[in-house]
Amino acid sequence: MQVFSTFEHHISLEIAIGTLKRIGIPNENIFAVPLDSQIEKPRLFDTLHRADGTSLIDIGLAIGTGFSVIGASIGLMLYWGPIIWGLIGAFIGFLIGFAIRLYVEYVVKKRKRALKGEHSEVILIIDCKEEQAEMVESILWKNYAIGVAKVK
Amino acid sequence: MQNYTPDNTARRYTAYVSTVGTTQIHLRNPYIIAWWSAAFPGFGHLLLSKYLRGFVLFIWEVIVNLQANINLAIIYSFQGNFETATSVVDTRWLLLYTPVYFFAIWDSYRTTNDMNRVYTASELEGHRFNTFNIGPVEINYLDKRNPLMAVVASIITPGLGQLYIHRIFTAFFVIIWVLLFFYFSHFPEALTYLLQGEIQQANSVINAEWILFLPSVYGFSMYDAYVNTVENNKLFDREQRQYLKDHYQNTSFKILKGKKVD
Repeated sequence: MQVFSTFEHHISLEIAIGTLKRIGIPNENIFAVPLDSQIEKPRLFDTLHRADGTSLIDIGLAIGTGFSVIGASIGLMLYWGPIIWGLIGAFIGFLIGFAIRLYVEYVVKKRKRALKGEHSEVILIIDCKEEQAEMVESILWKNYAIGVAKVK
Repeated sequence: MQNYTPDNTARRYTAYVSTVGTTQIHLRNPYIIAWWSAAFPGFGHLLLSKYLRGFVLFIWEVIVNLQANINLAIIYSFQGNFETATSVVDTRWLLLYTPVYFFAIWDSYRTTNDMNRVYTASELEGHRFNTFNIGPVEINYLDKRNPLMAVVASIITPGLGQLYIHRIFTAFFVIIWVLLFFYFSHFPEALTYLLQGEIQQANSVINAEWILFLPSVYGFSMYDAYVNTVENNKLFDREQRQYLKDHYQNTSFKILKGKKVD
């Protein structure tokens, strides 16, 4: 009997494997395949001299900080004062930077992003005796498996 | 106690999990790093985990900026009041400011390009590194954390996002300095007045020169917390993949081609 399951990368995956060993499943009966994900792969190419592509907020925070200094400086002369104008500056700057980043990611690079929610990152297959299958299955579910199936 | 002791068999390592934080070499955009050095000398180097250089440049910036009245000159310039901006600057200090300011920007830019190449080389080498550290004063290990929580923590008080991801050096440094900036700028006081709707009162208590440090500190600690949470998560994934491949891919394992049972 074999139990197939998929997981995200997380410590709970290792807790699942540890618990399976505790109930007597040997190392060689556990088979793990880490999956390459769609967004992970193309990264190595365009990144030697660039950032890693995941920081959607980098330009936003950079421009936001700059605008906040300008907003606070000018705000010292205005009725609302430096704090409110500094925050307005930060907010506008962040939105501009965030918009630039989104434009670059989705329009210029046309990069596919992973769908929202959980996606499988590891396939875990456990070879066990038929009477162990129920227990194996419940251990996998308890440790946040995304999907589990038994095959006989 | 570590689960692996670097024995110098690697030519280059990508990461090191120590008592005071997870240090990583990863790919960074040199322009973004250079920008943080421009916003506040030292921040670019702190982002690169080059703490000692970062601390020196940061403290230098606070001292020389306040002595030369750079922040006041910035304020008057943005207000269009160039005559006052020119007269407020202390020329005894001004010429000391410029070279180090531009050195910080250039050096962090150059270092980023260097470290990106080091990363590429060490990633190809793929040597294992320590991933767990337990000692008398701290415990540090690779795991997954929420980047959004890190940003929120740093919005509440700059430096807390760094504490959340166990970036102890940056956390302590930023928290201590932000305390000084808060105190001398009268920011919390002004905020209390603002919340009571007393704008005039809020404006009058603020110290302009000191409050101009705050936007950079907020921006930096949010960015640093976010980026490093994402990178730590990626490091966890990479390390776990390697671990699974090393331990759970026995060649004698046969896939059962049966039927799915419910």
